[in-house]
Amino acid sequence: MPSVTLKSVNNKTYNVKNSFDEEDKLYVFTFWATWCAPCINELDAIKEHYADWTKEINMEVIAVSIDDTRTQKRVKPLLNGKNWPYTVLLDTNQDLKRSLAIVNPPYTVVVKNKKVVYVHNGYSQGAEIELYNKLKEL
Amino acid sequence: MKKLLFLLLPLATISLYGQETETEEKEEVRVYGGFESNIQWYLNDSGRGIEQPVTPVRSNNYFLINYQYSNFTAGFQIEAYEDNALLNYNPGFKGGGVGTYYLNYRNNGLELTAGYFYEQFGSGLLLRAWEDRALGINTALRGGRIQYRPSNNVRLTGLFGQQRSGFDVSEGKIYGFDSDINLSSLFNFEQSDLSFGVSYVGRYEKLDIPDPSFNELTNAFAGRVNFIHNSFYVSTEYNYKQEDAVLDVQNRINNEFVRPGNAVLINFGYTGNGLGIDATVRRMENMSFLSEREPTFVDATSSSLNFNDKVLNFTPALTKQHHSNLANIYVYQAQGKVDFIDQAIMKAGETGGQIDIFYEFPKETLFGGKYGTKLALNASSWYNLPGQYRFAPAEYDTDIFGVGTKYFSDYNIEIKKRLSDTWLTNFYYINQYYNTQWLQGGEPVNTDIVTGEAIYNFDTTKSIRVEAEHMWADADRKNWAGGTVELNLNDKYSFYIWDIYNYGNDDSDRQTHYYNIGGAYRHGATRVALNYGRQRGGLVCVGGVCRFVPESTGFTVNLSTAF
Repeated sequence: MPSVTLKSVNNKTYNVKNSFDEEDKLYVFTFWATWCAPCINELDAIKEHYADWTKEINMEVIAVSIDDTRTQKRVKPLLNGKNWPYTVLLDTNQDLKRSLAIVNPPYTVVVKNKKVVYVHNGYSQGAEIELYNKLKEL
Repeated sequence: MKKLLFLLLPLATISLYGQETETEEKEEVRVYGGFESNIQWYLNDSGRGIEQPVTPVRSNNYFLINYQYSNFTAGFQIEAYEDNALLNYNPGFKGGGVGTYYLNYRNNGLELTAGYFYEQFGSGLLLRAWEDRALGINTALRGGRIQYRPSNNVRLTGLFGQQRSGFDVSEGKIYGFDSDINLSSLFNFEQSDLSFGVSYVGRYEKLDIPDPSFNELTNAFAGRVNFIHNSFYVSTEYNYKQEDAVLDVQNRINNEFVRPGNAVLINFGYTGNGLGIDATVRRMENMSFLSEREPTFVDATSSSLNFNDKVLNFTPALTKQHHSNLANIYVYQAQGKVDFIDQAIMKAGETGGQIDIFYEFPKETLFGGKYGTKLALNASSWYNLPGQYRFAPAEYDTDIFGVGTKYFSDYNIEIKKRLSDTWLTNFYYINQYYNTQWLQGGEPVNTDIVTGEAIYNFDTTKSIRVEAEHMWADADRKNWAGGTVELNLNDKYSFYIWDIYNYGNDDSDRQTHYYNIGGAYRHGATRVALNYGRQRGGLVCVGGVCRFVPESTGFTVNLSTAF
């Protein structure tokens, strides 16, 4: 991952390259936005399986919001009803999105040992199972 | 079609190249980036009396590549607008060439960048250098930036640069400083988070008017505080822009109309279990901040301002971004600047607010049912600043509190309800007021929009989405009806067809159908989308910033990939 520093929704600082570096752990960066319905559906769907997946695989989902200052204020209220078990990062000026050349969310990047091992764009219902099968292989 | 194929070629070679490089030098150098191409083939449409432009096939293409080696990162972006950029795109984007390039060094606490860089201070009311390809915005700064983080709680940024405009940079020299300091650990807060920041932005532009009554260097300052305590949060920001010449009716500056600007932003909210409330209040006065005081004229009616060019700050409309087609006909753009149009319409900025309420009715309750019910309420209302205005010679004196003429309001409710494992339904009601007279000229419009949406899942991967919408409007083009059908076959293919029909137009020749049909294929980081249909003329908006597009009919191809 590019060395970009972002703040989480709780105002903590993370460097996407160095803060997620546990050996052999799978970091699933999911890019989303408050105005992107399929993104929210995807993160909701992963949540349903999250407890099982994390038991089985050494993995973690990081939900990167690409909302700009116009819609970013909606992130917090939206999260609360959802109880997502993810670290939520704010890519307010889209520095991370831009350097990864992401055009549209939803967009998923899986990182292992600081290397991108899998990329997927878009979400349609059921695609989370495909992601799970992929994660098991990695 | 040949041209389209030519444009596809570099894509194939680029992705191969990217993979090869990575495997060859897997040890240290990492290569990443992407390619995006947006192609339009404009056609004649006798039904609407539209003639295709002289160069009917147009495309915007971007190729970005980054190299990372040890603590260094370098990269560049090549852009090509062939044959010409898409219709009504910023005319500065013409032909092809290297759009941006940079070299970056970073170790634990220090980061140095030379070349083009993007940046945002606070909420961006003084400075935001960003890119949005759909809008034709690339306001990266070309110069140098130093960022220093002595600890996780402190970030200091200093920068100097000139703002990108087309394939060149604008005249103004931009100086900036920003700080972001978190005090939570200092006070040993456990349940709370407190941070603050101060910023400075200076713009230096030589003046060629005699005896100017304002400085060549315009200073702007901002301070912000952000506080979170358990489920409550509040943040506030104040921005001040020093006295500077204000653009007159002809978009020219003179010694007689010189004013400072300011903006206040307050946001607060509460998020509890299943409940979220968020409110924002913003007041902006004379907050147009350009990297060159006077816009460049493109033709008799448009200037660089029409293309969001040479704009230093970011003043998005704080309204809800709707996904319904009809709710995006009367979209509001923030009125942050002084804009005197005639004796009756004189604007000095905007004031207003927005509130959002999210609530989830729990499962197994009266309104919740078996699966729970989600409710979202949103309201926003924006007004001119109240006060005294004089057209000639131009002058104004605003009041801090209260509101002036109403520009826009939007009250809406959204209900999301899962009926069974296979059926999901959504319902929206939106009421909008759009003061066309003050915002773009014409009659003010009141609208009521109703949208119903249902998603049915055939199995775990196949689904269909059907949406029907109707808008009652009391003026302008009057009533509209619309419908969408979208089919998701699996994770790779999706297809859609939609139409919006202006059946209520008083002029029967303008009772137009705007139909569109298309599909997309996705694999890995690659997405290819094809669309055929009619584009409604008007504003295309992303994140509260808009670009005007003319009416057109034709094919669109969007390609994007990353490596």
